[in-house]
Amino acid sequence: MMSHQQHMAPPSRGSVNGFPHRKLEKESSGRHDNKTNLVRSSSGGLSGAENGIILGHGSHSRDRLIYVLTQLIGHHVDVHVKNGSIISGIFHATNSDKDFGVVLKMAQVIKDGSTKGQRYAADIIKKPETMIIPARELVQVFAKDVALGGDELPKGPGHDKRKDLLIDSAISRTHYLEERELERWAPDEGDSECIELEKYDRKGNRSWDQFETNAALFGVKSTFNEEIYTTKLERGPHMRELEKHASRIAREIEGEDTKDIHLAEERGLFLGDDLDHDEEIKYSAVRRDTDNSKYKSFTNVPSSTHHVDSFNRTVNIDPKDSLACSSTMGEESSSYTFDNTDSSAIIQANNVSQPKFDDPSNKPFSVGENRLDKKLSKDNNESLDNRKLQPENNLSAGVRPLISEGLDGPPSSSQPSSSGQGFKSPETPDSTVSVKPSVMEPMTSSQRPGSSTSSTSERIAANSVASAPGLSPSSSIGSLTSEKSTLNPNAKEFKLNPNAKSFTPSVSLRPPNPPASDASYYYPNNMPAAPLGPGLPVGMTFPPAYGGQPVMYNPQPGTPPQGYMHPAGPQVRKL
Amino acid sequence: MEAGGEEFAIGVVISAKTTLGEEFEGQIVAFDRPSKLLVIHEGVGRAERGERRNVRVLKANYIREFSVVSKGDDPLDPAGCMLDLDAIYAREEAALRQAEIDAERIGVGVTPEAQSIFDALSKTLPVQWDKTDIVVMKEVRVRSPYMPENVSGGTAAANERVKKVIDFERKRLHARVPGLS
Repeated sequence: MMSHQQHMAPPSRGSVNGFPHRKLEKESSGRHDNKTNLVRSSSGGLSGAENGIILGHGSHSRDRLIYVLTQLIGHHVDVHVKNGSIISGIFHATNSDKDFGVVLKMAQVIKDGSTKGQRYAADIIKKPETMIIPARELVQVFAKDVALGGDELPKGPGHDKRKDLLIDSAISRTHYLEERELERWAPDEGDSECIELEKYDRKGNRSWDQFETNAALFGVKSTFNEEIYTTKLERGPHMRELEKHASRIAREIEGEDTKDIHLAEERGLFLGDDLDHDEEIKYSAVRRDTDNSKYKSFTNVPSSTHHVDSFNRTVNIDPKDSLACSSTMGEESSSYTFDNTDSSAIIQANNVSQPKFDDPSNKPFSVGENRLDKKLSKDNNESLDNRKLQPENNLSAGVRPLISEGLDGPPSSSQPSSSGQGFKSPETPDSTVSVKPSVMEPMTSSQRPGSSTSSTSERIAANSVASAPGLSPSSSIGSLTSEKSTLNPNAKEFKLNPNAKSFTPSVSLRPPNPPASDASYYYPNNMPAAPLGPGLPVGMTFPPAYGGQPVMYNPQPGTPPQGYMHPAGPQVRKL
Repeated sequence: MEAGGEEFAIGVVISAKTTLGEEFEGQIVAFDRPSKLLVIHEGVGRAERGERRNVRVLKANYIREFSVVSKGDDPLDPAGCMLDLDAIYAREEAALRQAEIDAERIGVGVTPEAQSIFDALSKTLPVQWDKTDIVVMKEVRVRSPYMPENVSGGTAAANERVKKVIDFERKRLHARVPGLS
C-alpha cells in the first residue's frame, strides 16, 4: 500500500527513481514537512525495479494525466478534500512537477466537512477567492462536461459553442465543399392535393371571395366598388357578342407567333433552343439592351410623316422616335417604332421586344396623334369622349390591355402632332375612315404583325363606320380590338383641321408599365386616374384583359398630360 | 486502502466506493502511479470531438473498494490528444469573468431572504450589493430588512418604482414560500 506520506529522498541523489529532484515550492503552504517534500517516488513503496518499469508507464500515464488536467483548466470543478469538505471553483493550475496540488480561482467552500454534522456552508457566504489545495489534502477533483476528445472546431467569431446558434460561417466551416447532385423537388405521395393555391371551380372561375371571407372572419366590410376603377360593363343584350368577339381577339393574340422569348414561353411556343439563353436571359427581370439601346420614349408621337402630312399638319416629331408605351423600352423591338417610312406609330403597350411593326398597309396612324390632337382641341374633348367611349365599354376581358396602353401612352405623352389641334371635334368622314384603320393598329398589340392588326382594324373600322359614321379616329382607338367601339357615339365628330397649331411634345409620357412582371400586356397600373389630358375619350377603360389591372381613364379636359413621367425616359420639355 | 495498482488498466470500467462515502462508476482513462491519481470518465468508450463527459481525478488510495465491470479500449486517442492552449486560456478567462459577475450578485453576510429579494429585483432592475444594502440603479438604496419603508434615495420616480417592486416581490415570495418572513 502506498503511503501517502511524502518520501524524502536525499538531495544528493541525482534523481529519485529516475525523477529529477525538485523542491516543492509554495504548493502546500503551512505544512512544514512539505518543505522537504521532494518528488515522490513513483512507486511509493514498490521496489526500484518496479519503479523502473513503472517509470516507463509512468511517463505515459503522467502524460495522460497532464493532458486531462490541462483540459480541465477553466472548468468549474469540485475538489473533495480529506476532511470531507468540498471546494468549488474554477480550475486554474496544478503542480504537475510534483504531486499535483490544485489551484482554484473564484473558489468557495460549498460543503464544510470539518464542522460537525457536515452541513453545507450556504449560510456563510463568503467572497470567492483563489484557493490552493495541497496534494496532501486532495482526494478528488470532479469536473462535469469535459470534452476529453478535444473541443469542437472553433466556430469563428465568438467561439460560440452553443449548438443552437449556428451561424452561416460556422455551418459552412464544418461542411467541406461537397457538391451534391440536385434533384428536382417532387411532392410526396398524397401531398399533391394540398398544393392548390387557387381554388377554381369547374369553369375556371375562382370560387374564393376574399371580401366574403374578410367579412366573415374579421367583420370587415369592404367599400370596394369595382366600377370606380373600371368601365361599368353594360351587361345588356350585346354582352354576349362583345364577349365572344373579345375572346376571339384574345385567342388570336395569344396564339400569335412571337419572337419574344418570354411571350413564347408563356404561349408554349418553342423558339428554338438557343443555347445562349441561360436562365438569366430567360427569366431575369433585368432588361439588357441588345442592340436597340435607344430608349424609346413617348417624347414624340411618331406622327408619321405621311399621315401627318396628309393632314397638312406641321409635325415636329422626329419620326424615328418611337412612341414608348412601355416603360421598359430598351428593347429593340420595344414598341414604339416609329417608322419613318411607314409612318406608323405603333404603340406597343408592352415591353416585349417585338419586331417593328411594319405595316405599310395600315399605317397606324399615330393613334396618339389623334388622341393628342383631341386633347388639344378642347372642344373636342367632351364630345369626342362621349362618342367614343360608350360603345366600347363592353370590352371584355379578352381585349388586350394594350388598348388602354395605347390610349394611355400617346395621349399622355407628347402631343405629337401639334397639328392635333387642328382636329376639331367633327371629324371629316374621310379622315375618319382613312384614319381609322391606321388608328386601329397601334392599339392592337404591339406584337401583332401587321396583318392581324390590319384585319382587326379593318374590322373595327368597319364596325365603327357602320355603327358610328363620322366617329373620330380616336374612337376607334378605344375599340381597337373590339368590334364595338367604346367610344362615345354621341361625341362630336372629329374633323381634322389642317391648320391647327403645331404641337411640341411635352413631358410625361406615361410609360405603361413596369416591365417584366406582367408578361406582355400591361396596364399602367399605377395610374388609376390617368392624367391623360384632354382629348382622351372619357370612360375609356379597359377591363382587365391581362393581369387584371383595370385602369380608368379620366382624362381631364384641358389638363396637359403630365404626371406620369417615365422614370428613365427623356424628359421632354413641356409645351 | 487497496493496492489495486496493477488492476488499474486503461480502458477498464470499474465500479467503486470511496472512503468518503461516494460511489461511482466509470472507465479508466489514466493512472499515474507516482501521484496515485486515477483518472476516470463516466461513460464507456472514446469521447468524440466535442463530446462531453464527467471526469474524476481521484487519488487511488481513497478507494475503499472497487470491482471491474468490464474491459474496454483506450478511451483516449493517443494520436489525437491535442491541447489547444489558446482555447483553454480563453475558456478560463471567460469563466472567470462570468464568475466575477456572479459573485457580484451574491451579498456577503446577508440573509438568504435578502438574497432572494436581490435576485428578484435584479430581474428587472440593475442592482448591486453595497455591504448589506441593495443599491438599485446606483441611486436608490434598500437597507435591511428590505421592506418598502427601507427604500431611500434616488429620484421620486425611481424611489417609488423600487418601493413598488419590493412590495410586489415580497408578496410574490411570500406567496411562494410562506413563512419566508
